[in-house]
Amino acid sequence: MAETLQNLALGFGVALQPAMLFYAFAGCVIGTLVGVLPGVGPLAGISLLLPATFGLDATRAIVLLAGIYYGAMYGGSTTSILMRIPGEAASVMTCIDGYAMARKGRAGAALAIAAVGSFVAGTLSVVALMLLAPPLANLALRFGPPEYFALLLLGLLVLAYMSGGSMLKALAMAALGLLLGMVGIDQMSGYFRFAYGVVELGDGLGVVPLAVGLFGIAEVLLTAGQATPPAVLKPRLRELFPSRQEWRESVAPIGRGTVLGFLIGIIPGSAHIISSFVSYAVERRLSRRPEEFGHGAVAGVAGPESANNAATSGAFVPMLALGVPSGPIPAVMLAAMMVHGVSPGPLLIQQSPALFWGFIASMYVGNVMLLVLNLPMVGLFVNVLRVPYGFLYPAIIVFCVLGVYAVNGSVVDVWIAIVMGVLGWILRKLDFETAPIVLGAILAPMVEMSLRQSLAMSDGHYAIFLTRPIAAGLLAAGALLLLLSFRSWIPFADKGVDA
Amino acid sequence: MTILRLSALLFAVGLGFAPAVLAQEPYPSRPISMVVPFPPGGVADLTARPVAAALERQLKNPVGVVNKTGAAGAVGMQFVATSKPDGYNLLLALSSISIIPEADKLFGRPPAFTVDQFAPIALISADPTVLVVRAESPWKTAKDFIEDARNRSGQISYSSSGIYGTLHMAMELLSHSAQIKLRHVPYTGAGPALTALLGGHVDALASGPAVVLPQIKAGKLRVLAGWGESRVAALPEVPTFKELGYPDAEFYIWTGVFAPRGTPEPVLARLREGLRAAVGDPEFKAAMEKLETPIVFKQGEEFARFFAADAKRLAEGVRKVGKIEEKKP
Repeated sequence: MAETLQNLALGFGVALQPAMLFYAFAGCVIGTLVGVLPGVGPLAGISLLLPATFGLDATRAIVLLAGIYYGAMYGGSTTSILMRIPGEAASVMTCIDGYAMARKGRAGAALAIAAVGSFVAGTLSVVALMLLAPPLANLALRFGPPEYFALLLLGLLVLAYMSGGSMLKALAMAALGLLLGMVGIDQMSGYFRFAYGVVELGDGLGVVPLAVGLFGIAEVLLTAGQATPPAVLKPRLRELFPSRQEWRESVAPIGRGTVLGFLIGIIPGSAHIISSFVSYAVERRLSRRPEEFGHGAVAGVAGPESANNAATSGAFVPMLALGVPSGPIPAVMLAAMMVHGVSPGPLLIQQSPALFWGFIASMYVGNVMLLVLNLPMVGLFVNVLRVPYGFLYPAIIVFCVLGVYAVNGSVVDVWIAIVMGVLGWILRKLDFETAPIVLGAILAPMVEMSLRQSLAMSDGHYAIFLTRPIAAGLLAAGALLLLLSFRSWIPFADKGVDA
Repeated sequence: MTILRLSALLFAVGLGFAPAVLAQEPYPSRPISMVVPFPPGGVADLTARPVAAALERQLKNPVGVVNKTGAAGAVGMQFVATSKPDGYNLLLALSSISIIPEADKLFGRPPAFTVDQFAPIALISADPTVLVVRAESPWKTAKDFIEDARNRSGQISYSSSGIYGTLHMAMELLSHSAQIKLRHVPYTGAGPALTALLGGHVDALASGPAVVLPQIKAGKLRVLAGWGESRVAALPEVPTFKELGYPDAEFYIWTGVFAPRGTPEPVLARLREGLRAAVGDPEFKAAMEKLETPIVFKQGEEFARFFAADAKRLAEGVRKVGKIEEKKP
């Protein structure tokens, strides 16, 4: 412990240098912007800025890039809450209850809770990263395809909880999403599926165009099609802050979101998105009023937003402790280290203590900066809702298209977003929820890949899922969850559900 | 970000009108794009950036890196293959440039592009892959590994960066040369493939040396042999498969610069000359040293020969792997 404190003192010595503070701040500001802009997520932001960091030294470059990463997670909730456009993919869940809160005049409260939840999750998970990185990293490595598959099955169960309305409709949409997720190169055999000769479809439809289309563009079309446009909201100052009741309902979800997000974030793979799904499902499961979910439940914002921030720190665990990427973003950051002649690997912490501890300390500093940066902005952002729809909505469409284009510089992506926007509009008209489509499309390729990798590992034997303890444990948890959903049928097992 | 992209877009639109007017001007007289068909942070991108910077100093003309990603590189490669052959759109490619058309052929689909659509300009780097296993694995030498693979056919597994990807091809070339059968578990990228090996989910991996050196130094991985014609400078005690009697197991992760076929010879000559000087640039050398990637410069006939031999090996590799479904009854 004393050694940790000594090291942390070294880290703060590095992180509090004026230049380092400047790069942390720049990273946080850029990250917030990247998060706020629809479509442009942290990966695109970091990728575009990577070349600009080549002139810096390694520690500064990493501090700047990490700031963009967790800054984007803070900023991503803003457009989700205000306009139902996910600022980055991990904020998809926030669209549901965050936007519903905004429609009820609680936009300020939702934004504030998202910011505070992100701060708490960010800070606590850095503590965990600092104290537990080496042992946890080795545990994370044990997460192979079978374990990942079992976790994703849990994720699929979540799909059923997604809608406030009909379960049948939600499952139909989830199935449509799973189908859309099948588009692209079959990673196991090299076949192009449903690409119709369009090379750009080789990588699939893409989460960003799908989410921006189904949420953002569809919402704009839907509003435009109403005979009487909804009244422009005029938020008052006292409505900017969460009520005592809302705080009380957020505390536990923030705590659970932090733990879940950090643990899921450690697992190699695209863990942010999953962490926010799982957190949402857990909150709904544990809620005494699950019927509120989808109609502005505070816990539906607090949990997922905390989870996706904690997952950011979790993702740094294997990167810093072992030099292996836990996802595409840490992979870019590892490349940045290599460019600066720092070889990332198991010896990084011993060989470059100033980098490691400086980085950790900069994350404490960065989280405080983000909170200070974001809370006052709540008042500013909420004013977006005062803009008359005639001006606001065309601007939203422009930002959606620009954001989608900017990710890959691909016009095909823009078309996908537009087609998905129209599809989303039709489905919403028919009273279908679109969130399960996005989740299905995200989960489908991961589920398929991990299932087939597992079977390739075992030469086709399904027993691999039962002989590996973590996988078997996760599957058992899934089975238990399924059983619990039938608990009203089991005599004496009913613990007094309010409904 | 968006503004950056937007101004780049406007700039590109502006360029679209320029060529007709500037057709007679000496080359180069406007900015050159070096297209990287992979995302920033990968081998291609990290090589392209110092190359572009050094070439810019040589030609005294802006050279910008453009990441045009998608479909394992096919999107960016197709873009350059079909762009105007005027020397203003260059491609920095990896060996997948020869693999993708061959895989298209295998599946009987219209190719995104063919190798003939490119004029090779220069090879920048070539790094042989090395065979790594976990330090606690029973195989101390490549001989142990190959013998065990013979005894337990199809039981030893390896990860790769993706089906028909470079790391898959390296392993398949070895399998055929040594007449062994290994079990392939593809991942999406070299990073996840390495993670899978370290986590014990697969038994072996063919990898670029730079990525695994820190893991070897930390005692997590053991390196058994290399695919190069000669030994890897950073691993002088590690034999090559060639020395061990498997001459067909030759494979490099290389980077090279290409232009669309039909680019005028004077332009190509200018680029060859510019690149030759660029690889001697001290800043470029320093950048490649940090990446622990050896510079191997070949141009003209010499590069064309290297490229043809490599393409032939890879084409054969793809054909031998065949379609996955066909292998099982």
